[in-house]
Amino acid sequence: MPTWAGEPLLDVQGLVSGYGKIGVLRGVSISIHAGEVVALLGPNGAGKTTLLRAISGLLPWNAGDVVFGGRSLAGAGPRETARAGLVHAIEGHRIFTQQTVYDNLLLAAYDAPRAERRRRIEEAFAVFPEIADKRNDLGGALSGGQRQMLVVAQGLVKQPRLLMLDEPSAGLAPVLVDRVLNVVSDLRSRGVAVLLVEQLVEKALHGSDRIYAMAQGRIVLESSAGAPGLAERIENVYFGHKAADATGGKS
Amino acid sequence: MEYASVFSILATGLAMGAIYALVGVTYNTMYSTSRVMSFTAGQLGMLGGVLGSAFVLRLGLPLVVGFALTLACCATIGVVTEIVAVRPVLKSLDQHLYVLSTLALSLMIQQVTAIEWSTEPQPFPRVFGIGSGVWDEKFWLPIAACALVTLFLEWLQKRTLVGRAFLAVAEDNFAAQVLGLPERNLRIAGYALAGAIGGLAGFAGGELMLAFFANGGFLNFYGFVPVALGGLGNNRGSIVGGLALGLFQQAANFWVGGVFASVAVFVVFIVVLLVAPQGLFGPTTARRV
Amino acid sequence: MAISENALKPATIASLAPFLAIGVVAVLLPFVGNDYWAVIGTRAAIYWVLVAGLNLIVGFAGQLAIGYVALLTVGAYVTSILAAGTVLPPVPLPLCFAAAAGVGALFGVLVGLPALRLRTFYFAISTLGFATIVTQIALAWRSVTGGGVGLAGPEFPPPFNTAWGFYGLCLGAASFATWISANIAHSRFGRALVAVRDADVAAEANGISKAILLIPIFLLGGAMAAVAGGLFATLQTYITPDAFTFDLSIMFFIAILIGGRGSILGPMIGTIVLTILPEAAAPLASWSTFLYAALLLVIVLAVPGGIADLIDFKNRRAITEERMIVPKPALLPQLFAHRPTPAALTLNGVVLAFGGVRALDGVDIVVRPGEVHGLIGPNGSGKTTALNVISGYYAPQEGEARIGGDPLPAGRPELRAGLGIARTFQRPRLVAAETVLENVMIGGTISGRAGFLATLLSLPGRGRDERELEARATRALQAVGLEALAGVKAGRLQHGEQRFVEIARALMLAPAILMLDEPAAGLSSDEIRRLGELIAEIAKQGVGVLLVEHHADFIFEICRHVTVLDQGRVLAAGTPAEIRSHREVVDAYLGR
Repeated sequence: MPTWAGEPLLDVQGLVSGYGKIGVLRGVSISIHAGEVVALLGPNGAGKTTLLRAISGLLPWNAGDVVFGGRSLAGAGPRETARAGLVHAIEGHRIFTQQTVYDNLLLAAYDAPRAERRRRIEEAFAVFPEIADKRNDLGGALSGGQRQMLVVAQGLVKQPRLLMLDEPSAGLAPVLVDRVLNVVSDLRSRGVAVLLVEQLVEKALHGSDRIYAMAQGRIVLESSAGAPGLAERIENVYFGHKAADATGGKS
Repeated sequence: MEYASVFSILATGLAMGAIYALVGVTYNTMYSTSRVMSFTAGQLGMLGGVLGSAFVLRLGLPLVVGFALTLACCATIGVVTEIVAVRPVLKSLDQHLYVLSTLALSLMIQQVTAIEWSTEPQPFPRVFGIGSGVWDEKFWLPIAACALVTLFLEWLQKRTLVGRAFLAVAEDNFAAQVLGLPERNLRIAGYALAGAIGGLAGFAGGELMLAFFANGGFLNFYGFVPVALGGLGNNRGSIVGGLALGLFQQAANFWVGGVFASVAVFVVFIVVLLVAPQGLFGPTTARRV
Repeated sequence: MAISENALKPATIASLAPFLAIGVVAVLLPFVGNDYWAVIGTRAAIYWVLVAGLNLIVGFAGQLAIGYVALLTVGAYVTSILAAGTVLPPVPLPLCFAAAAGVGALFGVLVGLPALRLRTFYFAISTLGFATIVTQIALAWRSVTGGGVGLAGPEFPPPFNTAWGFYGLCLGAASFATWISANIAHSRFGRALVAVRDADVAAEANGISKAILLIPIFLLGGAMAAVAGGLFATLQTYITPDAFTFDLSIMFFIAILIGGRGSILGPMIGTIVLTILPEAAAPLASWSTFLYAALLLVIVLAVPGGIADLIDFKNRRAITEERMIVPKPALLPQLFAHRPTPAALTLNGVVLAFGGVRALDGVDIVVRPGEVHGLIGPNGSGKTTALNVISGYYAPQEGEARIGGDPLPAGRPELRAGLGIARTFQRPRLVAAETVLENVMIGGTISGRAGFLATLLSLPGRGRDERELEARATRALQAVGLEALAGVKAGRLQHGEQRFVEIARALMLAPAILMLDEPAAGLSSDEIRRLGELIAEIAKQGVGVLLVEHHADFIFEICRHVTVLDQGRVLAAGTPAEIRSHREVVDAYLGR
């Protein structure tokens, strides 16, 4: 396993954010190095999706800072962060159903030089032959797994330095889950860093270098993916500590 | 019943219907990039006629120049709508403040026109001077404009990347932003386009409706009926709905008289809203919880 | 009776003072002004008769009726035609006005129908369309309306046939209009209207049916506008369609918005100002509509609360920063004095599919009286969908939901409150512009007994309802520990406090079943502990509590029974200890 030294690619410091009055992130700090795959775990409502949205400029921050590639992203919107090479693939397999697969990728290449668009799209298709065959079908005709591949392919077209994937496996059959998550290792081999939010803890551990776990809007665990006893520590993040008396309500 | 009156109903009905349809498309174009319905849609249709008449008849500019200036001015008003009345209230769509802000802007436009132009209908210039009777250009110009706009929008959406980006923003604004599409610029462009379409509707219908400030309020209502019929954001529905409305109105006009034709239109509008709240063509249901 | 008791409170006197001041000025006007002032004063009073009714529709219910001049027109023509006797034999004046009120009420509902089902803009457009059409009819139906030539307005007998005599009559009408609109505004109906405006989903969950609520308001608004029309025709002495320009409509509408939504004083000041303004600045008269519109734009963009907000000094006072929510669960038994019939909530094989996805795939849940039941599961497992089926937002395709022995009517959320089912929402749905106390009182809407008419005329039942509701709401606020903030506008509260307000609102129903959707999200650990104690104590009152929550520690600590959903199915059900050691549950959570 390589060691990650030097300046991190993404450095999030004490990020506080939420939706209006609803505070979700209560001071989150994480860092990711170039080419590193980091899994972000934690139960529902812990703030994982919010963290991704705050990083990519979809939500304003109340405090803290995000530095990407040595530059602060304060005040940057999703368009600026995407242009800087920080690409966010949101949850829910959201593609444009009324447009063809090819056009979906073309939209991802909106900012790319005109001459390069076709080449980038073909490269993305090379990674996902399953959707290359359907390039002229409407997005709405794709299956869930194919949609997720299209979402990741859209990210690839943008030539990211860091790709943030929010629950790419949600709602997919097990075979497809492996297929989609294999792409993560493929990305790593291309030198793309990945921040992966994933419910499938073991699969996420399998493909990552390092993990963070969140609960209640805070990072509660940071570890290398191969650390001994990690599974139990993660279980505690999800279920609380077994030491607590399970039935003892205050009466 | 004589053939002549059938032709006259068809000609007037389709022509008025095409104008309503174009105002409907104006509403839709604004809506698709912003989820906002704007009261300036009808005023843009009114301005198409008033500005056309002002540039060509009052200032004596050549027709082509007057036409280009009219579209440019209307596009600008579209952009002004976005900046003044839409963008500031986009953050709180659920409070429906856009109804008030666009209404205010729309009234300001109408009032300035009434004072600075005229409160009486003014003549509109002949455009090509082609045709007479039911084949007069005042009947076919709006229909031609409607066809032209339909073809242009098809071309834009099917053949250009900007057009696809419009569709993307309309389908899923959030996903479009995440993908790094210039959502704000697209919205401004959408409002400019909507302004030009509304202006074209007024210019093409100028000979039929004259250059009259009160057309704005009238078109706000009659242009929205096809939107309600066809489903919000559905251009094809609006065009079919607009033409049907024009024909229905003229037929009712012929048989039961002008006043009751308006009543009939209003009743149909209310009944459609109650029976098919999402329009007859395009269902778009929103989740509330 | 109600008035005398309220009048004892200094706060009530303070809030009445501005009205009294306006009243005194209005009464003194004849002694200082000439006939010109009489006309302007009369006009303002007539406009206010219309605006007072419209205010309930626009300001309180938030329904943007922009074409209300149409109802003024209808009223003016109905009274004038009947009084003139050109079409029918002449009718006595009071009957003319009664007929106008009836016709106006009818059209008020007709134009309002789209508002019951559709978005705001559609309603705005339909009133605009109605206004366009009424003018066209008035112009074209010559045999009845006189067309463009017009007809004479009704004439009043002495002493109302002089300028000041008629002014007195209109002032009386305006005072009456103020009184009835205030009666509605300060009642469960008024609060329900505001709830429909700002928190419609929560309104439904509290048993408020938009249709049942709005129809009497549309009737009232239409009738008041038509009566104003009759008075307007008298003032004009002669009416033509030109007298009823759309500008007038806009003036009414803008007077309300400038005045401030949900206020009576603000729109009253707005009406007076907008009536006098064009007179005071005669050269600007032709620009008046432009100025109104510009003012509207500024108000919408800069001061959405209008005049009422600007003069509401009380709510600018800072609330103390250091405040804690300390529930007093000991007070709960008082709220449940009329103990609900304990009833179990049962879901039986509920199936609900969206498209091809089975969001709920045969779910069984039983929530027993007095039990805290946890509902947990990974994202997308169907928890919120299950709550929404119980709440009636979705109708299950198979299976059924029952409370006690009775099936829950599918797809009728507004009937849940009456069946003893209360809930809170993931994101608190409160009326930000109302006080905390008023928000809690909304929860008691269905328990009021005074009907619409009794409320309108402030019959004794209204006062009794108000006192009972206020007392219970105060107790509910004490129980959740927020009584110190009762008078503060809900929008100023912190997110955690708003969650407790929602619980207080739900307690107003004294529910048999209470559903809490992620109540602990965003709370501090102290607040979570107190929330847990409060929930346990609520259950002790015989309430079945269904708790959706991600916070595992919290669920395991306070629930007696836990159901785990995964992909729309029940993966496991049992005690917290059983669930915690349930291998499949752990695997489902960790995605193994």
